[in-house]
This record gives sequence, structure tokens and C-alpha cells, in this order.
Amino acid sequence: MTRKLSLLCLLAGWLSYAAAGQPPIVVCYPGGPVSEDEANAAMESMLRVVEKAGQWPEHSLTSVFTSRVDECRKLLAAKKPRFTITSLGQFLEQRRTHHLVPLVQPRIRGATFERYQVITLKSGPDSLDKLAGKSLGGTVLEEPEFVRKIVFAGKLDPQNTFDLKPSRQALRALRALDKGELDAVLLNGQQSAALTALELKNPIAPVFTSADIPLMGMSANSITTTPEERQRFAKALQGMCSDPDGKKLCSLFGVEAFVPADPAAFKPLIERWDQGK
Amino acid sequence: MRNPYRMIALPLLAGLAGCPQPDHSLVRFEKLSDCPAQTTAGLSARQNELGPRSTTHALECSLASLRRTGDQALLHTSLGSRIALHLAERSTEPEVRENLAAEGVRFAETALALGADGDAAVHYYLAANLGLVVRGHAALAADSLPRLEAEIKRSAALDPGLDDGGPLRLLGMLYLKAPPWPTGIGDGDKALQLLRQAAERYPRHPLNHLFYAEALWESEQDEAEDLARNELVIGRQRLAEGDWGYSKEPWLKEFARFENEISPSST
Repeated sequence: MTRKLSLLCLLAGWLSYAAAGQPPIVVCYPGGPVSEDEANAAMESMLRVVEKAGQWPEHSLTSVFTSRVDECRKLLAAKKPRFTITSLGQFLEQRRTHHLVPLVQPRIRGATFERYQVITLKSGPDSLDKLAGKSLGGTVLEEPEFVRKIVFAGKLDPQNTFDLKPSRQALRALRALDKGELDAVLLNGQQSAALTALELKNPIAPVFTSADIPLMGMSANSITTTPEERQRFAKALQGMCSDPDGKKLCSLFGVEAFVPADPAAFKPLIERWDQGK
Repeated sequence: MRNPYRMIALPLLAGLAGCPQPDHSLVRFEKLSDCPAQTTAGLSARQNELGPRSTTHALECSLASLRRTGDQALLHTSLGSRIALHLAERSTEPEVRENLAAEGVRFAETALALGADGDAAVHYYLAANLGLVVRGHAALAADSLPRLEAEIKRSAALDPGLDDGGPLRLLGMLYLKAPPWPTGIGDGDKALQLLRQAAERYPRHPLNHLFYAEALWESEQDEAEDLARNELVIGRQRLAEGDWGYSKEPWLKEFARFENEISPSST
């Protein structure tokens, strides 16, 4: 049985990917609170499911994780990964250098995009203009250029407009807002959607909602991977959330499914980023 | 009387490796023929002596006796679960460790089925063992989070001082390591509060200081780094001056792991 499977896999050409010495998948999650040891272990979990879905040998895929933006840049440069899982900000920043193309996107609550929101207390500033000079917290602020170019669509420079208070925990930032220690919090779509279940003492309201911004999943180096490899990897990831173990993992991260990335969704963001606006 | 609850697991959701539902078989012990003759009454009488300072052989002999016993009074206690945990933590083989921890869960479940719901230690060792069982299985860990939280909360409500603040320590670490809001129950603020309580109310236990240091490190508070390093020093002192038996070695490794994580070269 094992031999048969091996032969099938060989015929399918996976050995070209699974061969020893392949660079690890670089995973960057800026602003995340998790330690690298734990995240690496979680990634191990995901990779075992992907290997199963893609019929790669167990432990043929490896990954390295960082929650620091500067470390992400270093890892991408040093490891030269063929596949990466990064924030959208890191994808846009590193896209040219590493020839990255989006491969799959997560689908969360039925959508492959999200809207960022700036939240304030209802009794506080009711517009971005009135927030000028005041404190803004949130996990997304680890990537201020992303916030400037994409979240605020180049219309507002958060570093020159607000007193930025990046946090590794959205909940902590929201509690600080509730206590009046912060004037506003920038939330991603997943965080915004969960606000209704959160028990805060004071009523809150959004003073800004971004345009639809695609959720980022996995990208690939278009030079060092073949279209077949990319397709194979994408297909394996698409099967992840329907696998019994993978389903639980997807659920753990609030992901319903991974779907093929829509290049058209990324095009305007890439253009905006490259224009530097 | 020596405190039987000194050794505490590190059953956190750190290792997450997606695997099928594990098949837990009973771990076979060698040299059981060397075990002293042990009656149920004898085992019951000396149950509090079985702990971190007991030899592995003594624990194995006792667990073997418990496997055979039908004594309801003994099975009503946390003894089987506790011994299984001690042995699991001493094992260097992941599969053996997991199987022993799974046995510890079963002993605790038996105790609960016999009406031990009011025994904090039963809930505590159930949670500690369960944490070890799911440690290597992300999907299983995700499924087990609500049960882990409920069991530790129950033990904390019944006896927060058990094992020198063990329930506070476990619950605090659960909140520190679990996936954070909005996808999970992870909550750095709750973790900090619980682990501060553990360190302040039960300062004797080295891990209370180590874990409080970890929560401080993640707290993003002013001067948190200095406070965390200070807690580490205190924890190291407690570890050096106390008689922690077989627990000392794995705890030293835990200190070293965190110290390495926060060393300037790794940040």
C-alpha cells in the first residue's frame, strides 16, 4: 500500500517539491501575541494536514514563523521561500523582491475580504478629523505603511496624524479604550465582527470603515515555483478545511475555507502600494 | 505531612501537531516483580507520600496496583491521576507520556463518576493530564479547550491553594497560551491577573514566578521587562532552595526555555 502510494506520488511529481533541502515556508504574522515556539508548533499541525491533503510524505514540509516585521524581512531574504504565509502588508512590501503571487485566500464569514474600522467611545471623538493628535491602538499598527497606503487608502498618514500605540492584543487595546486610556482602536474585520459579543462598560462606535480589503493567505515565488507546484499546493490548502483534523484547525482560526486567490482583488492594492501613495 | 501536590504539569497548548485521534494504550512497566507487596489499605495510607520525590519505580508499582484495584474509596481519590501525571512528566518518550497522561484522565474520570466532583485535586489532575494528552494534537487541543477551562475553573473554585496555587497557575497559563480573542479564549489580561495572584499568594512555588514572568513579558506594560526578569530571579531562587525532587530538572528546562526566548540575541 505504501509502495503504491509512493509510486502514485512520484508519478504526480511531488518529489520535486518534497526533496530534501527545500526552503521552509516562511510565516509572518505581525502584531500577533503568540510566541514563536507555539506558532511553529501550530504550523507543524497545519502542515501535517496539508501534506495529507496534497499527498506529500509526512514531514516533507517545514516552516519558520515570526511575529516581527523586521524578522520577517530577514527570513524572507535568508530563506528564499518558495511559499509564504504573510500579512497583506508584508506581501505587498515584499512582492517585487521575492516575486510573490497570491495563491489562496481564507474565507471568513462568507467573505474573502474584510473592512478595517476605527472604533471610539460614543462619548468620544466622532470622526477621524477629531481624532487627530489623539491615541490610536490596535494590532494592525505593527505595519504603519500598510495602514497608511491600504487601510486609509493613502488619504491619511497615521504616523503623523495619531499618537500610535501598537498592541499585540486587540482585547487589551479595547479594554484600554473602555477605560479611557486610549482614544481609538483600529480593528481588522474579524475583530470588528466579534465586538458585539464583547462586554465593555461604555458604548462604542466606528468612526471610520475602510473599503473592502482582500484577506491574505498563502503566496508563492513565481520564479522558483512552477505553475504545477503552485496549483498542487493551492489545491492541498483548499482541501484543508474539509479534512477532519484540518476542519478543527480552520475552525480554531475562524477560517471556513481556503479558496483560490482572486488576482483582480489584489491588483488595485498592488498598484497603490507601488505608487507609494 | 509532605505536600503530595508539588509537581505540576506543564500541560499547555504549546505543541500543536495535527494528528489523528490518538489511540492510548496502557503503558507497560518493567520490573514490576520487584515491587513490594502492596495492599489497597497500605497504598491508601501512604498515598500522600507518593509525589515528586518518589522514585519512578515506586510510582510505577503504585500505579500498577491501582490498575488492579476495585477499591471504590481509592478510585474516588485523585491518586491514580496524580501518579500518572508524575510518570508522564518524567517520560522522555512522547507516546509513553501521552499514554500515561491519558490514563491519568481516565482515573480522574472514574473518580468523578464515583462522585468526586467536590474534590479539587481530581479536577486539577484531570486538567493537567488532559493538557498533556492534547499537547501534540492541535485539533484535539482546540476541542478540549472548553473542557480544560471548565475543569481548572472548578478546581480553582474548590481549592485555589492546591499545589501552591496550581489551579491559578494552570488557568493563567491556559489564558496566556490559548488562541486570543476574537478566535479563542486566550486573554493576556486574565492571565496576568491569575498568575500575579499565584505568585503573590503562593510565592514558594518556582513556576508561579516563572509563569508570572511570562505573563508580564507579554503584558506590554511599562517596566514589565524589569518586573519579569525580577520574577525570574525569584523563581530561580525558589527552585534552588526547595526540595522539588524529580520536578526540578524539567522545571530548570522551563526556566532556560523562557530565558532563552527573552535573551537579547533571540529578540
